[in-house]
Amino acid sequence: MSATAKQAEAPAAAGATEVMTYREALRMALREELARDERVFLMGEEVGTFEGAYKVSAGLLDEFGPDRVRDTPIAEEGFVGAGVGAAMLGERPVVEIMTINFLLVAMDQVINHAAKIGAMFGGQVRCPLVIRTPNGAGNQLTAQHSQSFDGWFAGTPGLKVLAPATPADAKGLLKAAIRDDDPVLVIENLPIYKEKGPVPLDPEHVVPIGLAAVAREGSDLTVVSHSYATVRALHVAEQLAGEGVSVEVVDLRSLRPLDMETVAASVSKTGRAVCVEEGWPSYGVTAELAARIQKACFDDLDAPIERVGMAEVPLPYAKNLELAAMPNEERLAGAIRATLGLAA
Amino acid sequence: MPRLSDSMEEGTILKWLKASGEEVARGEEIVEIETDKANMTYESDADGSLEIVAQEGATLPIGAVIARVGGEAAPADGAPAAAQVEAEAPAEAEAPAEAEAPTAAEAPPEAEAPAPEPARPAAAGADGERVKASPVARRLARERGVDLAGIQGSGPGGRIVKADVEAAGAAPAAAAPASGPGGSGKGETQVVELSKLQQVIARRMAESKATVPEFTLTSEIDMEACVALRGELKALEHDPVPSYNDMVVKACALALREYPRANGAYKDGRFELYSRVNVGVAVAATDALVVPTIFDADAKALGQIAAEARTLAGRVRDGKITPPELSGGTFTVSNLGMFGVTDFVAVINPPQAAILAVGALAPKAVVRDGALVARHTMSVTLTCDHRILYGADAAQFLARIRALLEHPLALVV
Amino acid sequence: MSAAVSAPPPATDAIDAAMRRELYERMVLIRVFETEAERQYKAARIGGYCHLSSGQEAATVGAVHALQTDDVLVTGYRSHGFALARGVPPEAVMAELFGRADGCAHGRGGSMHLLDVGRGYYGGWGIVAGQLPVATGLALALVRQGRPQAVLCELGDGAVNMGAWHESLNLAALWKLPIVYLVINNEYGMGTPVGRASAEPELYRRAASYRMHGERVDGDDLDAAIEASARLLRAAREQRQPAVLELMTYRYRGHSVADAGLAYRTKEEIAEHLARDPLVRVRTQLRGDGVTDEQLDAIDATAEQRIAAAVSFATESPEPRVDQLAAGMHAAGSAEQFARMRPGSAYGEEPLTFDAGLGA
Repeated sequence: MSATAKQAEAPAAAGATEVMTYREALRMALREELARDERVFLMGEEVGTFEGAYKVSAGLLDEFGPDRVRDTPIAEEGFVGAGVGAAMLGERPVVEIMTINFLLVAMDQVINHAAKIGAMFGGQVRCPLVIRTPNGAGNQLTAQHSQSFDGWFAGTPGLKVLAPATPADAKGLLKAAIRDDDPVLVIENLPIYKEKGPVPLDPEHVVPIGLAAVAREGSDLTVVSHSYATVRALHVAEQLAGEGVSVEVVDLRSLRPLDMETVAASVSKTGRAVCVEEGWPSYGVTAELAARIQKACFDDLDAPIERVGMAEVPLPYAKNLELAAMPNEERLAGAIRATLGLAA
Repeated sequence: MPRLSDSMEEGTILKWLKASGEEVARGEEIVEIETDKANMTYESDADGSLEIVAQEGATLPIGAVIARVGGEAAPADGAPAAAQVEAEAPAEAEAPAEAEAPTAAEAPPEAEAPAPEPARPAAAGADGERVKASPVARRLARERGVDLAGIQGSGPGGRIVKADVEAAGAAPAAAAPASGPGGSGKGETQVVELSKLQQVIARRMAESKATVPEFTLTSEIDMEACVALRGELKALEHDPVPSYNDMVVKACALALREYPRANGAYKDGRFELYSRVNVGVAVAATDALVVPTIFDADAKALGQIAAEARTLAGRVRDGKITPPELSGGTFTVSNLGMFGVTDFVAVINPPQAAILAVGALAPKAVVRDGALVARHTMSVTLTCDHRILYGADAAQFLARIRALLEHPLALVV
Repeated sequence: MSAAVSAPPPATDAIDAAMRRELYERMVLIRVFETEAERQYKAARIGGYCHLSSGQEAATVGAVHALQTDDVLVTGYRSHGFALARGVPPEAVMAELFGRADGCAHGRGGSMHLLDVGRGYYGGWGIVAGQLPVATGLALALVRQGRPQAVLCELGDGAVNMGAWHESLNLAALWKLPIVYLVINNEYGMGTPVGRASAEPELYRRAASYRMHGERVDGDDLDAAIEASARLLRAAREQRQPAVLELMTYRYRGHSVADAGLAYRTKEEIAEHLARDPLVRVRTQLRGDGVTDEQLDAIDATAEQRIAAAVSFATESPEPRVDQLAAGMHAAGSAEQFARMRPGSAYGEEPLTFDAGLGA
């Protein structure tokens, strides 16, 4: 434990960063918070000995022991609920759900319990629970393991839902979630774990909840995205810059609370918005964004708000079908061009 | 509110010619309405007792109820009227909205009328179709007093986008100083609301200057032959005696027939070339400017042109000009010579390709055969839309007008 | 009526006459409260669902009596009796049922979501078996915090067929958590008798699947309920042995006030249970202890007065403020996080949430 604390303090050169993967940034956040606060503990399937299905918690069992890094049986409803209860007594559980698809069997605990505690009990008891889980598709995992439900949770009052897109935000937002006194869902993404970027080594690098980031400035059109869709959007923006199109990318970072001020300011500036998400757009995050943008920016809109998301089918296995269904960069670029009235 | 012109969106009740309760007959004039183009008299299309709904001075969108005749809404042109009556019912009954709503909702099917035309949105094209424009384009147009109907959209599907309105770039309406007492140092400001016609002029002229890449050509025309011709016609007691302007109109008409581009328009990225040569003649009216059209001027005798021009000018002065007489022009002649203006540049009346500005006819010292002589001359300036009429073509077109006026027999044969 | 799987820890708990009289007062208070709640519900002063527990007083009061001050109580939605047994003032409970600001959940919870954190009561929960994982987590927290306390998690007989029951019991046994799952078996899950819902109708036997102690006791016997509850809670506290305690009882009223309770059982059946009414049984014991009928009647009269006072209190209590609609939903500091969410929000959303105590 003390070794960890030292590790967290050691690199404290102000502003120092290190390039690492999204996965490593998450691990850094977990390690720092485990070291900082005794109330923090990890819980989930294979988080300990196996070091996490996606290796986010690698090394943490050795460092913090089985009480702080707690393997669970395959029983999401049970251990998510256990996280809810532990949080009610002031613990800071960080529950890992292997993929968001498995969170469905714990929906009752998330929606009916965690999200309700604050309001339903008149604010007399809080639930500082963190659930972190990857969304998304892309590795031929097929219909039952290739879904994105961020919109479901982000539409539930009582929850906070974060969706970092960069390694730096992965660290800063996970830490913010752990330190927050409310239930927070941190949505990660399978393909994003390998993404690299500079991450502040400062153990106090905490990104405020409810603050979007302008990931890239531009003047012709705003792409509103979060999580892996932001990675795609930045690639497409770079590509289109070569064609003389100036795309601004707003990375939401937080879905609930949603920083509409940043979104509205950007769209009012550019007059055009393309909203993109990894999941199905119907009734999704982009649906919400479109509704809010049209209201907030009506008199500044120069084109209909466009949306890009996963094709509305259960995701098939065949690689070509999967690729076609995903909100790939080609489709995003097409949506941008169409919104700008350019030839596709 | 009846639709009385192609581009009308709303109208103002000027004067009721009958009172509420009076019996009116079908075809009887009942109301004067100011449209965007002219003041129109509207006739009842039903027999019955008149019930006035909209008072004088009221400005209403097309389709709004202005009166009922014999219990029907006027205009009684079917569906809109029926729907309007029903739509008003709850308010009249002063009943709770909930109680009335089902009745109103059920009403249209009972009327057995086709679906009522929806209330016309703010921006409608000349053909009555809704103008496709983005919200920001609409806002900018509103702020700058730009008529969206005259803008060619560059966005997907022809949508007018912000850049199009900016290109149309009229002076911001906000530039009109809303100055209170002692505010501007210009003394008291009298704020005058524009009439419909003035609003149209403002919009179209601003749109023209903002969107048309124009160039001008000026030419001096020796009018001695025209002066002689007119003297002869006068001596023949021709009635009416054609004016020099009538001769200019005829000359232009003949030249237009030979230069199709000058008798066309640049529209939607294409040239529109018109089969009829209809020359508009700008006429000053009270507080306004209108351009009545002499249709098929190339095919009409000079005398006929003279007669029509006189009639039209009279109707303009009397405020009786009707929209059909003001539309359909393919070219415009504007003459300020009677005010002693020697030459000037006119603003193109879009989407026409050109306009000819005619200056004063006056004796002038010119060199002829190496000698200085006095000749009646007249300066004309052709303003051209370079998108359709290019320099050399325009020069030839103008030269043809000059040739016709310098040899005016061609105008009377 | 008593049965057990695996060896029960030794019994040591017994109550004296004074304590029995005090517990009787509490049982009467619950009975009178429930009777009055039904009356007020039918007078439309109470809304929503309203699940009464008349007939279950001995089980309720007995089990709660076995809790120590710092133990944790969690229940399902038939919670009025548990709240009152735990010492929540009837005024606060009635005000909650009335949806008033002075209710124990500030008018936000209603009949199903009573709580009193100061008394270790972590809620009234409305989804059948949903409270089991939560209670299991509360027990996990007690362990992590090194507190020598236990959790008593009440559930109905209907809840044992939910997956949450299985997952919770498995976790509790696996992690050796200090928790007693208290099955209040009143013979019916809504209108379905236990025998038609459970392939193993002796519910306590299911504990064996987790190598957990399970035990069935006559819940209408106050002393038996206390003894078993105290013993199992002690084992949970001291040896981190989770257990299932099945208390057999009966509810006189329907599933809720909206259910007459006669579609699936007969009046004769109810009458039979009334003849063995737990209140009458304790009253008989108290007479044996030398308490006079006048004294017992006085207890009843006092309860009536107290509940009448609770109704007055609830009636007088102000309604919660609409401008505080969002109060409690999020922790302090959250208003700042949500401040940038306003643009484009749905009609009326700003006054109803952003300006209504969000994060307060």
